[in-house]
Amino acid sequence: MPDLTRLPPVVARRRAGVRSHADLLSTPIIVLLGGAAVALWVSTRKLDDIETRALQPSAILSDLGQHLILTAYSTFFVIVIAVPLGILLSRQGARRIRNVVLAVSGFAQALPPYGVLVLIAFAPAPFGFNPFSVIAGLVAAALLPVLRNTVVGLRQVDPALIEAARGMGMSARATLFRVELPLAVPVMMAGIRVALVLNVGTAVLATFVGGGGLGSLIVRAQTLNRPIVLVTAGAIVAALALMVDWLAGVAERLVRARTS
Amino acid sequence: MSRATTNPGGSADRPPDQQPMIVLEGVSKTYPGHLTPAVAEVDLAVARGSIVMLVGPSGCGKTTTLKMMNRLIEPTTGRILLDGEDVTKVNADQLRRRIGYVIQQVGLFPHFTVGQNIGVVPRMLGWERRRIRQRIDELLELVGLPPGEFRDRYPRQLSGGQQQRVGVARALAADPPVMLMDEPFGAIDPITRERLHDQFLEIQRTVRKTICFVTHDLQEAIKLGDHIAIFAAGGRIAQYDTPEMILSRPANDFVREFVGSGAAVRRLHLIALSTLALDKIATGSSATAGAHPVIEVDGSGRPVAWIRVPGVDGSPALATVPLSGSVYDAVDAMLDAHSSAVAVVDGDGRAVGALRWEALVGELQMRGRHR
Amino acid sequence: MDLISYLRENAGTVLLYGEQHLLVVFFAIALGSTISIGFALLVTPGEAAPQRWSLDWILGAIRDGALLVTAAALTVPSLALLVLLLPLFGLGAATTVTALTIYSLYSVLRNSVAGLSSVDAGVLESAKGLGMGRLRRLIRVQLPLAWPVILNGIRVATLIDVAIAAVAALVRGPGLGQLVLTGLSRYGAANAFNQVLVGTLGCLVVAAVFEIFYAIVERLTVPRGIRV
Ligand SMILES: Nc1ncnc2c1ncn2[C@@H]1O[C@H](COP(=O)(O)OP(=O)(O)O)[C@@H](O)[C@H]1O
Ligand SMILES: [Mg+2]
Repeated sequence: MPDLTRLPPVVARRRAGVRSHADLLSTPIIVLLGGAAVALWVSTRKLDDIETRALQPSAILSDLGQHLILTAYSTFFVIVIAVPLGILLSRQGARRIRNVVLAVSGFAQALPPYGVLVLIAFAPAPFGFNPFSVIAGLVAAALLPVLRNTVVGLRQVDPALIEAARGMGMSARATLFRVELPLAVPVMMAGIRVALVLNVGTAVLATFVGGGGLGSLIVRAQTLNRPIVLVTAGAIVAALALMVDWLAGVAERLVRARTS
Repeated sequence: MSRATTNPGGSADRPPDQQPMIVLEGVSKTYPGHLTPAVAEVDLAVARGSIVMLVGPSGCGKTTTLKMMNRLIEPTTGRILLDGEDVTKVNADQLRRRIGYVIQQVGLFPHFTVGQNIGVVPRMLGWERRRIRQRIDELLELVGLPPGEFRDRYPRQLSGGQQQRVGVARALAADPPVMLMDEPFGAIDPITRERLHDQFLEIQRTVRKTICFVTHDLQEAIKLGDHIAIFAAGGRIAQYDTPEMILSRPANDFVREFVGSGAAVRRLHLIALSTLALDKIATGSSATAGAHPVIEVDGSGRPVAWIRVPGVDGSPALATVPLSGSVYDAVDAMLDAHSSAVAVVDGDGRAVGALRWEALVGELQMRGRHR
Repeated sequence: MDLISYLRENAGTVLLYGEQHLLVVFFAIALGSTISIGFALLVTPGEAAPQRWSLDWILGAIRDGALLVTAAALTVPSLALLVLLLPLFGLGAATTVTALTIYSLYSVLRNSVAGLSSVDAGVLESAKGLGMGRLRRLIRVQLPLAWPVILNGIRVATLIDVAIAAVAALVRGPGLGQLVLTGLSRYGAANAFNQVLVGTLGCLVVAAVFEIFYAIVERLTVPRGIRV
C-alpha cells in the first residue's frame, strides 16, 4: 500500500511554489490601483491650457528618457566600481579596511543624496551643473550598498566549499570565479537592486543641478502651482520607481532560481 | 515512589487504583490535511501518584498524545478526563496552570531570572509576593540548586542539566497534581542524565505527582516508569503494562522487537538491592576467620578495601554500590572493577553488606524458577 | 570664508536647523514605530503553522501584505511622495513628518515581524503549556525577546529618515535641507558652498546624536538576560 501520509506535504510544496512568487503581483497591483485613482481624479477635472501644456506626453516622455539614461549610466558605473572593489575588500588581506567599510556603510545611509549631489555640482570643472556631476553624485550615493553586499555575499560563502575547491587544485583565481562569485550572486543582486532604486529616486533631484529627468516635471508643476499637475507628476515618478524596483525584483528572483 | 503500588504480574490493562488521575477514552487525532491519524483510538488510565512512560519509535504519536492532555492539541475524537473532569469543558489556560509541563528544549524564558521563571505560574494565579519567594527557594532546594546561588541567575548562565532542573521546578511551582514531560532529558549527556534520573525519582518520592513521561529510550522508561505504554507506528498502544511484564511477557511481535535483545539484562534494573539477602560483612583489620567477607573501613565506617572474600583468592578490588540501587548497578560495578564481589553502602557511605557473583546468580535462578 | 569661521558666525542658525531636523525625524520615528510595532503585535499569529483560512492564517496574510506595501512605499522617490502629500497636508512640517513616517514603516515593521516570530519555539510552547494566554505571551515573552531586533529596525529607519528629511526643504519642510537649498540658490555667493556642506554633513551629526540616544535606550530597555 502506498504511504498515504506522504501525500499532503507534496501537495503543500507545490502550492508553496506558486505562492512564493505571488508577492510579485503586489507592485503591479499597487501601481495599477494608484494609477487608476489618479487617472480617475484627473478625468473628473477640466484641464485648463496651462495644465494641458504641462502634462503634454511629449514633454513627459523626454523627461522620462533623460531619467532612464541618468539611472542606467549611474547604475552601470556603480557596478563597475563597486563590484571589483568589493572583491578586493573581501580578500583575506583587506580585513581591517573591510571592517571599517562595513561599519561606515550603515551609518552613511544618513548622508542625504540631495546634499551630495549639490556638493558635487559645486566642485570645479569638469564638475558643475551638468549631467556629468549628476552621474558622479548618483554613483557616490549608491556605491555603498553594492560594495557592502558584494563583500557580505562573498564572505558568507561556506569556507568549507572554498577549502574543497582549493583542495582539488583550483587556483585562488579559479576559486573566486567558479565557486565564490557564483554563490555570492544572489546577495550581490540584492545590493544592485537597492542601488538601482536609489538611483531612480536620486535622479529626481538631478534637475536642481542641471541634469534634467522627471524631477523637471515636478519642478514645473510646483512653479505652476496647480495641484492636479503636481499630483500627476508625483504619481508618474512613483510609478516609474515602483516598476523599476519590480523589474529588478523579478530579475533577482530569476538569478536566485538559477543559482540555487 | 510507588513501585510498590504496581502489581507485577497483575492484570495487564489498567493500573490498579481507586480512581485514575488521567483517563483517555478512545482518543484519536488526525492532523488537518493528513489522511491517517497520528494517534488512533488510544485508551489509557494513569493511576494517582504513578509514573507512566510513553515509549516508542519517533513519529508514533507520543508527543501528540501528551499534548492532548493539556490541550495544546485538541483531539479529533474521544474523551480525556483529568481527575474525573472532561478537559475540553474547561478553559485551556486555566487547565494548563494546573498541569506541570516540561519539554526537551526546556523553554526557560531567557529574559527572566531563574527565580522569575519558577514564579511565572504562581504569579498568574495571583499568589502573594512573599509566598512566591518562599516557593521559589523551596523548589530550588528540591531540585538541588542552592537558592542563594541560583535564584538571580539568567538561564544562559546555567548548564543544560541545571536548566532542565529549573524547568522541572517551574512546572512544579503551583504544585499541580499532574506533570507532563516530553523527553525532558533527551538533550542531556548520558552521565548527567543518570544523575537527573536518580534525582527525579528522589523528587517524586517527596511530591508524588501523577506523571506522564514521553521518551524514545526504553532504558529510561524501565528505570523511571511504574507503567509503560509502548506506542507502535500509527499511534496505537501496542502494550500497556509494568516494566517487568513488558520485558518478560511482550504482548506481540512489535513489542518483542522493540524490547529487542538484552531484555534479561534490562530486567536487572527492576530488582532493587534492598530486596536481596546480602552477605553480612565483618569490618576491621582483625581477620576473624569465618564465612563472612571482611572489609577494612575508615573512621566513619566507609569501606576502604577488601581484606578477604570467601571463595575468592587474594583480595579483589573494592567496588561499592548504594543500597538504593538495582542489581543492574551492582553487576555493572563488579564488571567495571573486575571483581566478583561488591560492597553495598547506605546513604552515608557506610558498608551494610556484600553481594557476591555466585550468590547473585543463585538468587536469580531461584527467582526465575518461581515466576 | 572658511568653514570654521562660517560655523562660528552662524552657529545659532545652524543649530536651529539641526534641532528642527532632529525633532522632525524624532516625531516621524516615534509615530512610525508606534504604528509599526502596534500593527505587528496585532497581526502576529498565535501559531507558527496555522491552518488555512483560520484566524491566524488570515493575520499572517495581512502581515505579509503590509510588508509588501510598506516596502513598495520605501522605493517611491522622496520628492514624489512629498508632492503627492502636498494637497493633503500643505507646505511645511506636516507633510514632512507624514512622509518621514511613511518611510520609517517598513524597517520597523519588518524587524518587528521578524523579532516576534523568531522567538524560540520551545520558549513559546512552554509559555503556552504553563497556561499563558495569547496576549500575555505576546506582551510578556515575545515582545521583550524581540525588542533588540525591533530597536535595530528603528535605528535603520532613523538613518533613512535623517537623509530623506533633507529633501523636505523643497516643500518648505524644516531642517538642515534648508541650508542646502539656500546654498544652492545662492550659487557663487560667499558661503554658499559652506551652507551646502554644513547642511549635508550636519545630517551625519544628527544621525550620531540618534545613535548615542539609541545606545542609551538599548542599555536601559534590553533585559539583562538577553544582552549580548
Ligand atoms: N503539528 C503537526 N501537524 C501535522 N502533523 C504533525 C504535527 N505534529 C506531529 N505531526 C505528525 O504526527 C505524527 C506523530 O507525531 P508526534 O506525536 O510528534 O510523534 P512522537 O512524539 O512519537 O515522535 C508524525 O507523523 C508527525 O509528522
Ligand atoms: Mg515527540
